[in-house]
Amino acid sequence: MTNLLKRRTFLKGIGTTMALPLLEIMQPHQNLLSAATVAGKPPVRTAFIFFPNGVIGPSWMPQTTGKAYQLPKSLKSLENVKSDINVISGLAQINARALGDGAGDHARCASVYLTSVHPTKTSGADIKAGVSVDQVAAQQVGHRTRLPSLELGMVRGRNAGQCDSGYSCAYSSNISWRTPSTPTAKEIVPKLAFERLFGGGAEKEKQRARHMKDRQSILDLVKHDADQLKKQLGKSDQRKIDEYFSSVREIELRIERSTHQEKIKPPEMKLPDGIPSELQEHIRLMYDLLLLAFQTDTTRIATFMVGNAGSNRTYPMVGVNSGHHELSHHQNDEKKMADIQKIDEYLTGQFAYFLDRLKSTPEGNGNLLDNSMICYGSAIGDGNRHTHHDLPIILAGKGGGTIKTGFHHQVKTETPLSNLFVSMLDRAGAPVTSFGDSTGRLTVIDA
Amino acid sequence: MRMIEIVFHFLQHPRSGGMISSLACLLLLTNAVSANAAPPDVEKSEKQFQSRIKQFITKYCLDCHTGEEAEAGLSLEKFQTRASILEQREAWEKIVKRIQIQSMPPKDAAALPSDKEREEALAWFDDTLYGIDCTGDVNPGRVTIRRLNRNEYNNTIRDLVEIDFEPANNFPSDDVGYGFDNIGDVLSLPPLLMEKYLDAAEQIAEKAIFANTPDSYPWTEIPDKNFEKQGAVNIGKRSASFHSRGTILGTINLQQAGKYEFRITAGQTPAGTEPAKMEVKLDGKLLKTYDVKAGVDVPEKYTLPEAIALPKGKHVLAISFLNDFYDPKGPPKERDRNLYVYDVSYKGPLGQLPADLPASHHKIITCTPGSGRSIHYCAEKILKEFAEQAFRRPVEREEIKPIVELVEATVKSGRSFEQGIQVGVQAVLVSPHFLFRIEGIRNPQRAGSNDVQKMNQYEIAARLSYFLWSSMPDEKLFELAAQGRLDDPRTLQVQVKRMLEDPKSEAFVKNFAGQWLNLRNLEELTPDPKKFRGFNTQLKEDMRQETEEFFSYIMKEDRSVVEFINADYTFMNERLAKFYGNDQVKGEAFQKVNLDKTKRAGLITQASILTLTSNPGRTSPVKRGKWIMENILGTPPPAPPPNVPELEAAAKAKPNATLREQLALHRNIPGCAACHDEMDPLGLGFENFDAIGRWRDKEGKHKIDSSGQLPSGQSFKSPVELIAILEQQKQGFCRSLTEKMLTYAIGRGVEFYDKCAIDEITANFTARGYRFSALVTEIVLSDPFLKRQRGSQND
Repeated sequence: MTNLLKRRTFLKGIGTTMALPLLEIMQPHQNLLSAATVAGKPPVRTAFIFFPNGVIGPSWMPQTTGKAYQLPKSLKSLENVKSDINVISGLAQINARALGDGAGDHARCASVYLTSVHPTKTSGADIKAGVSVDQVAAQQVGHRTRLPSLELGMVRGRNAGQCDSGYSCAYSSNISWRTPSTPTAKEIVPKLAFERLFGGGAEKEKQRARHMKDRQSILDLVKHDADQLKKQLGKSDQRKIDEYFSSVREIELRIERSTHQEKIKPPEMKLPDGIPSELQEHIRLMYDLLLLAFQTDTTRIATFMVGNAGSNRTYPMVGVNSGHHELSHHQNDEKKMADIQKIDEYLTGQFAYFLDRLKSTPEGNGNLLDNSMICYGSAIGDGNRHTHHDLPIILAGKGGGTIKTGFHHQVKTETPLSNLFVSMLDRAGAPVTSFGDSTGRLTVIDA
Repeated sequence: MRMIEIVFHFLQHPRSGGMISSLACLLLLTNAVSANAAPPDVEKSEKQFQSRIKQFITKYCLDCHTGEEAEAGLSLEKFQTRASILEQREAWEKIVKRIQIQSMPPKDAAALPSDKEREEALAWFDDTLYGIDCTGDVNPGRVTIRRLNRNEYNNTIRDLVEIDFEPANNFPSDDVGYGFDNIGDVLSLPPLLMEKYLDAAEQIAEKAIFANTPDSYPWTEIPDKNFEKQGAVNIGKRSASFHSRGTILGTINLQQAGKYEFRITAGQTPAGTEPAKMEVKLDGKLLKTYDVKAGVDVPEKYTLPEAIALPKGKHVLAISFLNDFYDPKGPPKERDRNLYVYDVSYKGPLGQLPADLPASHHKIITCTPGSGRSIHYCAEKILKEFAEQAFRRPVEREEIKPIVELVEATVKSGRSFEQGIQVGVQAVLVSPHFLFRIEGIRNPQRAGSNDVQKMNQYEIAARLSYFLWSSMPDEKLFELAAQGRLDDPRTLQVQVKRMLEDPKSEAFVKNFAGQWLNLRNLEELTPDPKKFRGFNTQLKEDMRQETEEFFSYIMKEDRSVVEFINADYTFMNERLAKFYGNDQVKGEAFQKVNLDKTKRAGLITQASILTLTSNPGRTSPVKRGKWIMENILGTPPPAPPPNVPELEAAAKAKPNATLREQLALHRNIPGCAACHDEMDPLGLGFENFDAIGRWRDKEGKHKIDSSGQLPSGQSFKSPVELIAILEQQKQGFCRSLTEKMLTYAIGRGVEFYDKCAIDEITANFTARGYRFSALVTEIVLSDPFLKRQRGSQND
């Protein structure tokens, strides 16, 4: 009881400490926007949220299609934003299937979710997935904001043993891939994510400014080192130096940009040190940070892993004390299915919290949700059978008025999820002709 | 006779992930008969292919796998020679696995091979795909350059600059490959990490080196107890309040003579026409009288205008309030003028180094410009020494020239010499030569050559230190490398022994044992709090420590590694002992405890292992069985086939079945039986331990039945009897341990050509009494550790 109370007061506390300073920063933010956008339209923000282990379909997928559909049990908490979202059923990530590689559906679920590329099955050597959709967008529009993209998560990558049937753990604990062989690491500690977005308070910022010039000289110098070194190395080693080089380059660009971008006054937010012990506090803080990142236009592209693939976490707050993954292989046991449904519903509830907050944040003539595209889902449909079709996918937000919302669309079975990504990339300002296994665009969402 | 059974058993169910292991078990057993396996005779093998294998493929595969319409896009008619099979090694490895687990050809195929035919084909593929001639030059493999992982970074910084500081704790997690987080191919470097490296380098340089500017001297506050008062003063916790005329006298005892600055934080409550006057005297001499205008709630810092030269020893600083004022008829809140002094601080001696500099400062700043030494000279000397430590090898002056120039430019821009060195140190700490362990560039590389190359001395030193300490080499290793002695077997043996005895080998326990045994995964487990009320974070921590202490004991006391399976002792502190039902152990410290031999032995019955192989709410015999096959027997089972629907049918047939019964139903399915026939009895044999490792005789109303029979025919009635059976398979265990430790030591997955090294290491160390140090020494002396395949630029 005390814990619950503490958490409530804490969250309430955050709500208030955040609300006021946010209003304060609205002004510079608007200035920044007008500088960064054509015709003064707010930019489109894009996020991809991942949850593990699939869902109980019948409680997640609406019964009927079109505008008059009813939100099923697991999505009930989205009632407030029903007119701002689309539920899209029938999509598939075919490359997450075994395709001759045998078991490892969870590792593939995460690594294919945003890449739409079949990953190389390996425990380590020759790791290869594809560049993920968020990174494709970041490479095109990332230079317009302080951070090209933001990667958030809840749990570190597993740090011992096997993750899934002969796949390196890199595949199960990352959804965002900068290159086919480099996952974009995620931040899981709220405070560190905040510092990454806004710097570490006035004192630290002053220090940072002092160091900026040193940093530039140092980066210049080590870049030259890396260049020399690369010539002396074999191919697989060269790849590692390339990673080093491109990371150095990106930080250089960021420093360059920061010199002529308007400073965003860091919002005030009281954050705990380390990872909060309560799951709900942690997940909501991460959503809060995502909201702040978008609201301040610190980045326009983000990913968030609510859990690593195959997560066996328990959800005691909804009475589920068995592991998520273990339960997902329910073999149609009613009790286990009921537990999984509770987890589905709980996670949707947290997502709803995020959408509610986006919607209640005014921007331009509407709100932040209007200017966003948030894809929420997983690349496993039925966790019991490890299917990779009929995926649970929600596309929230109007994408700056380009998406018609309020529908349940049932698309043709086996339509690639990548078709949705191609359509999203158009709106994010990073159009491509195709992505992964895409066969076209997902036009049902067009406004 | 039993050997043949085992051979047969492994032949029938070879394990996918452990292809090499199971094959090796086979070979090991054959080796017992003839000391050296005959080199595969290519000609004979080709003949066999033409006479039998091609026929097997034609008869059982081509029906579906032919031409453009082939199933799964896999057409096999083009494979007409042995060489053509080897050209597509990876594809065939997958195909062979299918044949092994008998998922191909499918059960409903027109023609199915007989057991004999299948075994014959598998034996040929084993030989062709995995057979290797150990008599000639064997490929020692090639490790991708390894980025320091989080633990290695922290430890290296600790040993390099000698400051107690763990900057890597905020770095993103390192991804894991082959079960370990030190695998070159998997350790990537995204921008987020580069940013953290830059931040860390700045913090380290600032903590390690005193910047030697006026700003960098810390203010030292004179503590309350050093103050005396005269007159109407009240010295409280937050401030000294002067209610009327009075003085406080603070005594300081300077360790060094020199120039000191003084600073007083003060505020007033105003009254009358003038502000509070605060007089400051040092050793009786007036320094300054301030008008304190700042309010009591917003005190200001009053710093004396110039630094004062003082001899070392005791000095007294006197602060007095001169103009008390009280007018009861004045406006409210402006009736009583008082002075409040918050803190009194000093700093210095300016221009001289403070007496209490961190050791790291002296370690790094070994030269200061002046007396004929130029900035260039000192910067080069310092950075050459530092870079040689940081890069773990000798460094040419030419190589660090740009860093030295950066230091000079920094100093020329008006900053102190020490600040310049701080910048230089940062440049070293974000250099790829520090962040990566680079091998092979110091040896001249012949264009296009692809031969075997010995590791150079400094590379061996670093391989040793990161293997056993997860850190950089120490002085001794650098010294031996400089003398060129690190490829001498006797020297290496002595060093291994020394390094294992060093406290730094704790890193090996934490990092190797923590990952080999999956102990690190305990952290993310939460057993159902309703069912396991006694379970908490502290207990989890104690469980982990038990296994670490146990591993550490075997390592430090140089015991036989077979004790991992059968030891009759373990380690407990009072809390953990209570959990185990032992009331003899007292205190927080872990101590060696003898086990009840009828119930527990070795690793498998430790609570840590039993908990991490359970589900949150119940035991999982399958997970336990799998853990034993992977870690004790060295025969990891392949991943389950995707046939869950069949499982559902099995479950529906008997809805209220017990766990044991459900598993039995499950084994009726042929595709599952192959592995579960072994996995399930192994796991069920430990059902006497609940999901957090407590002993139980009953589960609910049901008496626990922990008897069982293995596919080999051996049967057991209790956990300890099963352990005795496992102990007989110690060769498999030793080989598996060798394979894991070698992976950890060299930072790459083991390949088929490592078989020779693994065989040799296993044979040699088991012949030396299975001793732990012998295993480590044999790994260090092996080719994969001491040599590398020279790669071309286009490999």
